Amino acid sequence: MFTQSRKQLKIAAAVCTLSLVAAACGGSSDTSTDSGSSGASGEILVSGSSTVAPISTRVAELFESVNSSVLVDVDGPGTGDGFALFCDGLTDISDASRPIRDTEAATCAENGIEFTEILVGIDGIGIMTNTNNSAVDCITFEQLFNLIGPNGEGTTTWAEADSSLPDAPLSIFGPGAESGTFDSFVEIVIEDLAEEAGVEPTTRTDYSPSADDSQILGGIQTSDTTLGWVGFAFAEPAPVKLLEVDGGDGCVAATAETIASNEYPISRNLFIYVNNNRAAESEALTEFVDFYVTEGLDVAVAEVGYVPLADDAKEEVRAAWNG
Amino acid sequence: MALGTIGGDGRTTARVEQEIFSRGRDLKGSSFKTLMFSALGVSILVLVVLIVDVLVDGWPVLTTRLGGFISGTLRSQSTDELLGISQGLAGSLWIAIFVILLSFPIGIASAIYLEEYATQGRLTSAIDIAIRNLAGVPSVVYGLLGLFLFVTTNNGESTLFAGGITLAILVLPIVVITSAEAIRAVPSSLKQGAYGVGATKWDVIRTQVLPFAAPGIFTGTLLSLSRAIGEAAPLILVGAITDRLAPRDRSIFSPEQLDDRFTAMPIVIVGWVQEAARDVGFAAAAGAAIVVLLVVVIAMNSVAVMLRSYFEKKRG
Repeated sequence: MFTQSRKQLKIAAAVCTLSLVAAACGGSSDTSTDSGSSGASGEILVSGSSTVAPISTRVAELFESVNSSVLVDVDGPGTGDGFALFCDGLTDISDASRPIRDTEAATCAENGIEFTEILVGIDGIGIMTNTNNSAVDCITFEQLFNLIGPNGEGTTTWAEADSSLPDAPLSIFGPGAESGTFDSFVEIVIEDLAEEAGVEPTTRTDYSPSADDSQILGGIQTSDTTLGWVGFAFAEPAPVKLLEVDGGDGCVAATAETIASNEYPISRNLFIYVNNNRAAESEALTEFVDFYVTEGLDVAVAEVGYVPLADDAKEEVRAAWNG
Repeated sequence: MALGTIGGDGRTTARVEQEIFSRGRDLKGSSFKTLMFSALGVSILVLVVLIVDVLVDGWPVLTTRLGGFISGTLRSQSTDELLGISQGLAGSLWIAIFVILLSFPIGIASAIYLEEYATQGRLTSAIDIAIRNLAGVPSVVYGLLGLFLFVTTNNGESTLFAGGITLAILVLPIVVITSAEAIRAVPSSLKQGAYGVGATKWDVIRTQVLPFAAPGIFTGTLLSLSRAIGEAAPLILVGAITDRLAPRDRSIFSPEQLDDRFTAMPIVIVGWVQEAARDVGFAAAAGAAIVVLLVVVIAMNSVAVMLRSYFEKKRG
């Protein structure tokens, strides 16, 4: 024990020595930090939605090559937790997969935090079937609810689940409950109808879930009358048939344009919220958001698998931020 | 031989031996043995399936770019060649330093006091029970404690210091309990002998109790270190970063980073498993990170085993 405590002391001493050396090195490199091209430096903390976090992370990675003396950290505890931190003034930017709620905005107002909402991209969900399935072209929210919602449990044909649909064998493929795409689908398509029907807002349990999008797309090809859902960015290039969706305003085909224009009903907007006071004080934050609304919207959103905004929407966002 | 005395003549002996040792006779005994063996088999099978599963997942990363993976950082795309675990490893290393520098000395010292100095009474047993209960408190609760004590009071800023000290507190009761058990197991004859030749209490603790208890103490403390390194839940509450930590121009041992935001291996793994829903390549990265974490933990446990046998030999 005695020898061991001496050893521990030695280790502690070694750690301290190393730290001192490192601190000295750190000090010398601190004096020459203007390695980036522009002057601003500082730290930025982005938190919020784990769905949007990859976009912010990608923007930060691209921004690093422009200005490496601004340090951007990104965390993804969820939209709600993100707003709680943001309205306490603990973060500079909040990622969100839905607009801020009135109660959250009230907290922000109480704490004197003014913010700018910036639409950065769109998360669309494609409803798919096999390319050989000519019986169905367009599907309504009610039909989707009957087919995929909890009431569809145990049904083996389309007609059995919803009498307005053809009598063909039904097998369903989709993401598992751990997926953000699963949550979005339930939130947009199932939730309201489930409330009306007085059932749990979730999907039936007897479908084939997979965390791997390529497995879902592969499943769709296993027979002629399959049904499934997956993020639009993954469905679009795949050899599957994307169904038109009727969310109450008629059938709309899923394309990058209809998703970007919000005509396609199964999509959700992805936002960032910027703390105005911080942006006014910090050149680094302003520079980062400037970069976000240009390169970020043009490049990063698509790179991490979401639907970029239409050109006029991008212009609107930029005008709103710069104005 | 002993059986020979039961009967007296050779035939009885043979019959009794057959009763006991022949196949198929001792049904209860052999079925019990089979049951025990299959129980062991189940635990080993679970372990093998787990290891094979993560190895298969992580194989592409481990075989093609292990070096880059270890020196890489958190990135947004799984195909990024800069993707890796260096930030997670640095955070976990610092957590280990906190546990070694805080939990070990404080925990072992408390155990010595409780076992050797404290008068055994109601208060001591109340403290003993309290420490045992603390060791059973879910780790999330320690996360909440850490959040309020070290994050909220620090203007809500999550720092490596908060994470390290939270986990040091988390394993402290375990260190106290295992050390106390080891000290309690020291034969009192050993202590009485030392007192008999005129040793003081301090002499007895230093020359008899601690050397004898050392193997047990080190096994317990190093296992608690592995526990601290594997914990994710408290760190999530304390605010470990999941998506991106900007590269800071610092050595891994620089104490300046105690004030920085941080991440750790379990957090990196949890984050990548979630990312895999969007970008499948992250499943391989998560598998590889699990393999690295397993290797680190197994290495630490092997050190525990080696220390144990070293001190056991020394104690003779």
